[in-house]
Amino acid sequence: MSGIALIPAPCNLLTASSSSSSKFQKTITTKTRVSLNNAISISSDPFVLELAEALEDSVPTPQPLHNLREASSESLLSSSWPSRRDEPFRFTDLSFLRSSQILPAPIPAPTPTITPFSTSQFPCHVSIVDGHFVSSLSEISEFPDGVYVGSLSNLNSNLNSIVAERVLELVCGLENGDLFWSINGMGAPDLTVVYVPEGCRLQTPVHLGYFSSQGSKDGSNALYLSNPRVLVVVEKGGEVDIVEEFSNDEENENECYWTNAALEVVIGEGGKVRHSYIQTQSPLAAHIKWTSVRQESSSTYELTEVSTGGKLGRHNLHIKQLGPETVTELSTLHLSVGNQTQDLHSSLVFDHPRGYSRQLHKCIVTHSQGQAVFDGNVKVNRYAQQTDAGQLTRSLLLEPRATVNVKPNLQIIADDVKCSHGAAISDLEQSQLLYFQARGIDSETARRVLIFAFGGEVIDKFPYSSIRDKVRSQIKSLLDPSSK
Amino acid sequence: MAISSSSSSSSSLSLSLPFQFRFSLKTQTRRNFPCVTAVAAASGEVPLLQVNDLRAKIVESNLEILKGVNLTVNRGEVHAIMGKNGSGKSTFAKVLVGHPDYEVTGGSVVFKGENLLEMEPEERALEGLFMSFQSPVAIPGVSNDQFLAMAYNARRKKLGLPELGPLECFSYLMEKLQLVNMKVDFLNRNVNEGFSGGERKRNEILQLAVLGADLAILDEIDSGLDVDALRDVASAVNKILTPENSLLMITHYRRILDLLKPSHVHVMDNGKIARTGDLSMVDAIEADGYEPVSALL
Repeated sequence: MSGIALIPAPCNLLTASSSSSSKFQKTITTKTRVSLNNAISISSDPFVLELAEALEDSVPTPQPLHNLREASSESLLSSSWPSRRDEPFRFTDLSFLRSSQILPAPIPAPTPTITPFSTSQFPCHVSIVDGHFVSSLSEISEFPDGVYVGSLSNLNSNLNSIVAERVLELVCGLENGDLFWSINGMGAPDLTVVYVPEGCRLQTPVHLGYFSSQGSKDGSNALYLSNPRVLVVVEKGGEVDIVEEFSNDEENENECYWTNAALEVVIGEGGKVRHSYIQTQSPLAAHIKWTSVRQESSSTYELTEVSTGGKLGRHNLHIKQLGPETVTELSTLHLSVGNQTQDLHSSLVFDHPRGYSRQLHKCIVTHSQGQAVFDGNVKVNRYAQQTDAGQLTRSLLLEPRATVNVKPNLQIIADDVKCSHGAAISDLEQSQLLYFQARGIDSETARRVLIFAFGGEVIDKFPYSSIRDKVRSQIKSLLDPSSK
Repeated sequence: MAISSSSSSSSSLSLSLPFQFRFSLKTQTRRNFPCVTAVAAASGEVPLLQVNDLRAKIVESNLEILKGVNLTVNRGEVHAIMGKNGSGKSTFAKVLVGHPDYEVTGGSVVFKGENLLEMEPEERALEGLFMSFQSPVAIPGVSNDQFLAMAYNARRKKLGLPELGPLECFSYLMEKLQLVNMKVDFLNRNVNEGFSGGERKRNEILQLAVLGADLAILDEIDSGLDVDALRDVASAVNKILTPENSLLMITHYRRILDLLKPSHVHVMDNGKIARTGDLSMVDAIEADGYEPVSALL
């Protein structure tokens, strides 16, 4: 029997979170007490303190990021390490991070010995190694005037002061961020900036390749932590495609490291960002990612994600609406083929009228110790009338004991809205398998084709055929290791 | 021996002793089968399909549906099975292709001299048994041409032929597509996804045309079809038919019988074939209903 936990909260008219766990209630009480006693709350968690200290010493504070670092360090020092009693981590086991000795990744050499991307089929390619923008491994194509792709420190020296000011104004400590958001804010050695000025539509995508050059061998307790941080700003009417790829250097295929990345996207009025995100890090790595999107009126944000790597993969996706008539489309596929957890926590907040969103989340768990977690929150607030929000999650559990924990939850306060959600958890359909067999195709091949087709719905949404092909072949080899 | 292993699932343990005894007798009969074939061969007739006293139940509810079906289909023959709803017609077809919802509890089925009941569904298909599904399932994410190419190449592999590449396959499929009067974009769509009732039926016939079969079982291929579509389907089936292969169709309506001209018409009632005749029997059914016809045994 596969483990299934499904906590749907269909049309929750209350603002309170839908959890009914008594443990959760307890946590709230504790928190309240702490804030009452509020004596400039320093975390009592020595593990977090030690981590904060290590981060502080690891890289000199880049001047422009001073405020971010200050704010992050303050919130970090008042947080404790999340436990299973905290609702956002109820199903996600972080003990493997906690039991490791976390070391900030050292600054890479100016020309790191990284096998360059086999995929730099994109003319504009940015390499981010251990959180550092590496210009020797990046290729910035000729862009129209006013477009900037590069590190924040270079932006300053370019004296592009208007853009720099705008960027600094937008780099913020997110109010809903968690401990990992703060760790990134404190440990980010630099900020990679993609700036698209008003009315500019970029024809070529910006490819961001993330690497971890520092890893430790399996069995070692040391865990190198890097904190890449990227800010994408698209001004009014601008358009850009972002391709984020977190992959594994072939030389440290089975190494342990922790990537704690953060991406902020700000889309101006009528602007559009198509975001592709592919995560194939080492099966022993921890990958924690924040994607925070702010959408002005009539803007469009499309995300297509395929995550297969990491022992622990966690994506926190927050989308906030700053004006009416926004369009948001999210398609995500998580695959657990080993002893690994893939986790998506998404939150979509509507505060303005006539917003539109479609979310499709799919999980495939093919291992008895594999796990997928999905918490998908959609909040339709009082002024968000005529919102049209749809959410669907489907999971395939293909092994006994494979686990999925899904918690789709809608909170609707506005009264004139169209919202739907659905959750399905299953093995493959017998009737579909029989259909293949009745035409002479053996059941093993049929299973493979059907599993692949299940994920195909998400893969097909990547806007570039080169990505689609690459992801397809990668998924194929994960599902059927013998075909390699 | 073979029979007992094929039905020796856990449920057969609960069978009473007399039944098991009867069972072993069946086994005996089957062992003798080669002799029977020899006799048949001598008379020039090797049956393509020989069903003897076939009994089957629904796995989930243990409800017995087939209560001793006997049927012989020779090469080149066209058979039709009629009968009222719930008489077991579709169950019979599904049991023949190895549908996992049903369990065979007794009897034998010999197809081309082999024990059909011992084979996996895909082995039955590769052996040359084809069934068109009454309501074919949609398979999102798998395109029709991809599906057909896989099935066709599996068949070629079985026949010892080299597999076809995508281009060769495509031109082969195009040829067959014309047979069922369908447009090219039919191939690009996902298998049965968003297909109308008529398109699903045409698709089943397209698969038959692509894969070929020694015995094609058409389960209510005519239901839900308009007059034109029915004529297309019937003419495609007539083109596929040769003196070497046989057809077994299940239907409620006279129209397709007129188009496909069965040599044998069977009436099924309460899990058995109650009566066998020719097309003239259909007139009696149309006039008086099934009750008197099946009672006439």
